[in-house]
Amino acid sequence: MNRKLVNIVLIVLALAIVVIIGKDFVGKKAGKNMDNPYEYNIDEFRKVDSTQILYTEKLHFPVKAHYWAGIAVSDSTIIVATDNHLLKFDLSGKQIFSKQTIDTATCVTVDENRQIWIGMRHYVVMYDQNGTLVKRWNSFGDRAVFTSIAVSGENVYVADAGNRIVYQCNTNGQTVQKIGEKDEQKGIPGFVIPSPYFDVATDDNGILWAANTGRHTFENYNQDGSLRTSWGVTSFKIEGFSGCCNPAHFAIFNDNSFITSEKGMPRIKLYDQHGQFIGVVAPPAAFSGSLAPDIAVDEQQRVIALDFERQQVRIFEKKKDGNN
Amino acid sequence: MSDKKEPKSIERRRFLRSGMQMALAVSLGGVAGVSLLKSTSKDLVWQIDPFKCVQCGRCADECVMTPSAVKCVHAYDLCGYCDLCGGYLKPDANARTTAAENQLCPTAAIKRQYIEEPYFEYVIDESLCIGCAKCVAGCTSFGNGSLHLQVRHDRCKNCNDCSIARVCPAEAFQRVPADTPYLIKGGFTKGGNSEDKLKKG
Repeated sequence: MNRKLVNIVLIVLALAIVVIIGKDFVGKKAGKNMDNPYEYNIDEFRKVDSTQILYTEKLHFPVKAHYWAGIAVSDSTIIVATDNHLLKFDLSGKQIFSKQTIDTATCVTVDENRQIWIGMRHYVVMYDQNGTLVKRWNSFGDRAVFTSIAVSGENVYVADAGNRIVYQCNTNGQTVQKIGEKDEQKGIPGFVIPSPYFDVATDDNGILWAANTGRHTFENYNQDGSLRTSWGVTSFKIEGFSGCCNPAHFAIFNDNSFITSEKGMPRIKLYDQHGQFIGVVAPPAAFSGSLAPDIAVDEQQRVIALDFERQQVRIFEKKKDGNN
Repeated sequence: MSDKKEPKSIERRRFLRSGMQMALAVSLGGVAGVSLLKSTSKDLVWQIDPFKCVQCGRCADECVMTPSAVKCVHAYDLCGYCDLCGGYLKPDANARTTAAENQLCPTAAIKRQYIEEPYFEYVIDESLCIGCAKCVAGCTSFGNGSLHLQVRHDRCKNCNDCSIARVCPAEAFQRVPADTPYLIKGGFTKGGNSEDKLKKG
């Protein structure tokens, strides 16, 4: 009788232990899968009307590296700067060469003579079109963080996110002037650069445009460094720029229209030369993660994006009838 | 009969004596061992790895403390001091102001202070923060990620089995040494006591 009672107690205890363990397991699983009552929802802003999407992706190819600095386009070739390599591809994605660079690149551009300019953290180097090192500038100091280069004729514009300034230099690295320093007398608001996203480009006339990412504006500077004009819209909506550092990257077509790339909610958009929103090249749904793809444009109005999340070069072409 | 009992009595006494001595030695050794272990090993506390956190909202509801011992902290050296702050303003805010309808935080625990054009400082009122991570999601999505969650050890009960850690989908909770209890983003803790700096924030 006693033994029977002990057995019953033991069985009940065993069952209780199984129930407790099972409940704990199920409870933990359910807890991990439950909805977030405090969800930060930006789905509404990720939606883009299909009629606003003017481009379609024609091709993409992988670029293997641990880190990608930037992309540039010259004639029918694509230049990609990675952590310690300079890669050249044709437009089909076939690699033409891979050359080791002398340091870790932070940005890249190609000039009209097909010379490749690479920004390292605080100095600039220039390679010829075959990837042979031609020039190395002196350092601009430890505080410098070069994030973009634009070349127009003898002028090399270097965006320095560390000092929040654009250096106008000659091709040998001698500073001609500093552009964008806050100057209330001249009506220059100064660059607000919260993080190392500070892009520059020159338009068809060789005039400098810089993205003032903290203010969500593009600023246009004359040759003498005076502020010529600016445009920009601060908004989460499709026609604006939001967050601390947008537009993170941009490029200018030869008709002086702008292609912009944003971080946070990655998207690539098209604006006319006056800053009027025209349409979308690639909506947020085309990207994963939050990194802004670096972008370049060619003379056929194609947009070539370096997608850091997918580790791909992606080529977008304008839709022929606007809907395909 | 008595001859037989005598040796048995001696055996039992010896056994008891040696048993007592053994038990005393073991307990003394045990106490000494535990003391040594305690004095040499570090105490551990729970903390969130901000780079693993996925802002799921569990920290607000699963903590045994009410409100949660998990709070938003601000790494000021990472902050962009933006006017359009993704951590402070709702994505569909109709204006960049401190009006309640524009604030993302459900408890208005973030204070926005003007510094100079175009910079604003954002300060967390920990007494109001419930650790929901809504602001962290906004800041991480659109900003530099300077807002992030940490277990505040002036509130945490340091439960053996943390109820938030049990349901954390990203397994961002981990045990860290009690003498370095915070995993603050950026260089916020450099050169000083992180607790003091957090309180200043």
